[in-house]
Amino acid sequence: MCAHCFLQCLAGPFSKMAQDSVGFSSDYQFWMQKLSVWDQASTLETQQDTCLHLPRFQEFLRQVYEVLKEMDSNTIIERFPTIGQLLAKTCWNPFILAFDESQKILIWCLCCLINKEPQNSEESKLNSWTRGLLSHILSAFRFDTKEVGLFTQGLGFAPADYCPGLLKNMVLSLVSELRENHLNGFNTQRRMVPEKIRFLSRVCIPLVTLPDIEPLVEALLIYHGHEPQEVLWPEFFDAVNEAFLLKKISLPISAVVCLWLRHLPSLEKATLHLFDKLISSQRNFLRRIECFLKDSLLPEAACHPAIFRIVDEMFRYALLETDGAPEVLAAIQVFTRCFVEALEKKNKQLKFTFKTYFPYASPSLVMMLLQHPKEIPQELWHQPLKHISEMLREMVEDQTHGSYGGPFECWFLFVHFGGWADIAAEQLVMSEAEPPEALLWLLAFSYSPRDRSLQRAQTMTEVKAVLGHLKKLFRSPTLSAKDLQAAAAESQARDPRPPLCQKLIRRLILNFLLWAPGGHVIAREVITLRISS
Amino acid sequence: MESLLQHLERFSELLAVSRTTHVSPWDPATVRRALQWARYLRHVHSRFGRHVRIRTALERRLQKRWRQEGTSGSFPVPGLTNFQALGRCDLLLSLRLLENRALGDAAYHYLLQQLFPGPGVPDADEETLQGSLVRLARRRSAVHMLRFTGYGENSVLEDSVLKTQAELLLQRLREVPKAEGEGPSRFLSALWDRLPQNNFLKVIAAALLLPPSSPRPQGEELELGTPKTPGQGGQELVRWLLAKSDVMAAFCHNLPVGLLTSVAGRHPELSRAYLGLLTDWGRHLRYDLEKGTWVGAESQHASWEELYGRFQSLCQAPPPLKDEVLTALESCKAQDGDFQVPGLSIWTDLLLALGRGS
Repeated sequence: MCAHCFLQCLAGPFSKMAQDSVGFSSDYQFWMQKLSVWDQASTLETQQDTCLHLPRFQEFLRQVYEVLKEMDSNTIIERFPTIGQLLAKTCWNPFILAFDESQKILIWCLCCLINKEPQNSEESKLNSWTRGLLSHILSAFRFDTKEVGLFTQGLGFAPADYCPGLLKNMVLSLVSELRENHLNGFNTQRRMVPEKIRFLSRVCIPLVTLPDIEPLVEALLIYHGHEPQEVLWPEFFDAVNEAFLLKKISLPISAVVCLWLRHLPSLEKATLHLFDKLISSQRNFLRRIECFLKDSLLPEAACHPAIFRIVDEMFRYALLETDGAPEVLAAIQVFTRCFVEALEKKNKQLKFTFKTYFPYASPSLVMMLLQHPKEIPQELWHQPLKHISEMLREMVEDQTHGSYGGPFECWFLFVHFGGWADIAAEQLVMSEAEPPEALLWLLAFSYSPRDRSLQRAQTMTEVKAVLGHLKKLFRSPTLSAKDLQAAAAESQARDPRPPLCQKLIRRLILNFLLWAPGGHVIAREVITLRISS
Repeated sequence: MESLLQHLERFSELLAVSRTTHVSPWDPATVRRALQWARYLRHVHSRFGRHVRIRTALERRLQKRWRQEGTSGSFPVPGLTNFQALGRCDLLLSLRLLENRALGDAAYHYLLQQLFPGPGVPDADEETLQGSLVRLARRRSAVHMLRFTGYGENSVLEDSVLKTQAELLLQRLREVPKAEGEGPSRFLSALWDRLPQNNFLKVIAAALLLPPSSPRPQGEELELGTPKTPGQGGQELVRWLLAKSDVMAAFCHNLPVGLLTSVAGRHPELSRAYLGLLTDWGRHLRYDLEKGTWVGAESQHASWEELYGRFQSLCQAPPPLKDEVLTALESCKAQDGDFQVPGLSIWTDLLLALGRGS
């Protein structure tokens, strides 16, 4: 090992500590300055700035605690003579105290300052001062008038006893005021000034994860004033959305819809959060995808066309970016299914036509696609399939029809409703008859939307040939894996099959394995042989 | 059972002491024992919550203690007033000790270590004491922040504070030991003597106007400050008001007119007493020919304006109150001689001024 590395190894842990402490002391200076500027957060600017920095400051407090807990009281004062100022300023900023776990960490820090055996008057004074701060955080309560304090004391109640009840009453009072203003507009006795409502939304930012405040958050989200511009603070929406996505607050669907309609970034974040969950979990069964989706409330919220369009747009983008990844396709299909379910539940209150959800599609096609394939008896499947196929083909092959968005839009619409491709494949494999052109076209289109007519015709021919082989084997009592291999084999004379065509044939083979009487027996062998891949 | 009751007694004493300077000789070991006792009682609470016999026995002992402590004149309210309070007895004790400046440094240091052990594996089974204390701190700052939604008027805070005080009052009324049925009255009288009266009157009015909540099943946990059946406590209040004429007089004199009307609308017995008082006031007014108005013979008598204002408000109330009031005025007018001309009977003049003179 060279000398240089050796020296680095020695210096290793110490240099890191030195680096950390340099970072820490510059952070310390930074926050000390911030706290001085914020003071008691009584102005608009200081409140806004405090709210922006709350999570980072909490992290800093954690670091402070980690440092302080290793030392005793005297060492702390030696190393950090201004620590008292820092902690005191934190105590007096109600926004910081209200946020998440900051008050807890602050209490821990203050506990570190207590000296269990003060040796001189300095140390005693420090103890006394710290005790005062702890008291301030935990129990001090000052009413504007003396009488109220005397009353509660006279009844034998301490602030700990009535604080929860008081908070509940204040929230109730504010909620009913908001509701009154919302319903009656200018006719209310106590009209709420927009500044007051904006102030309330600011105050809620650190408090958003406190369960007592939920009714107020809900009321603010649902409240519509009479001003043309948004009256609530944008950081409020961010905070509520974050808390909602992390499941730290529970809101009814109506409030969530209001949140997403009023603040587009929240909706986008919620959709991205969902994508993240879907991508990061290892093996996604459809059931689990459905759970994630229903949990996110997005399908139900999408009953509102504006929300549907935006989520759909994001799905479209994801599909394009991943070049049609099957995970994204699966997500779209499950989303559409949950969405349709939610729509049907709301049917009585439904006000929007389908055109508002799918503006690029012909309404008759949409109506057709929205039917449940499972509700149609199997013998009658071929009818709707044929119609769908014909309608799509017409739109795709008709170059002059600009209003329907071209082949990608048609394909994107079709893949929302995955059930149809499934039953088309099933139908092709299981029926004894000659495979109808319409079904072949439909499947070829769904697997390979970008093909030109010539390529698609070739695919259809290939598939037809394979299907012919498969039908002979369907009822064969001596079915073997080799037989299937032969059936799926490419003809040597032609060009090699394009990969998407290969994929389609693999799908048909799988269907065959599922439905053919002898299929299950040879399934494992077939998959091991990786036929046609 | 007996040992449990003794334990309860000793802890009640401990709780009472924890506020006084008697804690100054305490050392960490004493604090530890105190916290252990509290934890034991809390365990009792969670274990025997549905055990009616034990619950009743414990409550009876607590009531007996209250009766012993509270001789009429002084009325300390004990720290533990009912079984439910046992569920929070460690919180009560901890807060009292934390605020007590007489507690020595070593004991205080130990207390902090116990209450705030720092980050670690959270106790999934029960609510930790640390969690309760921290939540309290957070709620306190929430109240502080919501306070300043004033922008001119602070009615949100005032109304909420009054409502909360009313809930607390009703809570205590329910708990007061009902020895000879006198308990609540004596308690209220003692409060009247000791506490700022103006605020007390407003709280009584708020308490009388609280909406009746639905009855809840036995044994369910409730936050302090939410009444189970405010109707019950309300009845006690009404009874007491009717019995104490001086309080009733102050009540009707000092409170805003609209508030009185609402209260009268809710409680028929009070509306009768209120009307009685008003008619009494009316009888003390004499017509001053020079000034052309009705004036009181002495300065403490109500003025014409005050009388009129109250009757006006009452006549705007929904029936049956409105009808009751008008009937009363009519009958007074008839008793006086049924004059139609103003200046002879105050009742005639009132009815004329209200626009109901026939």
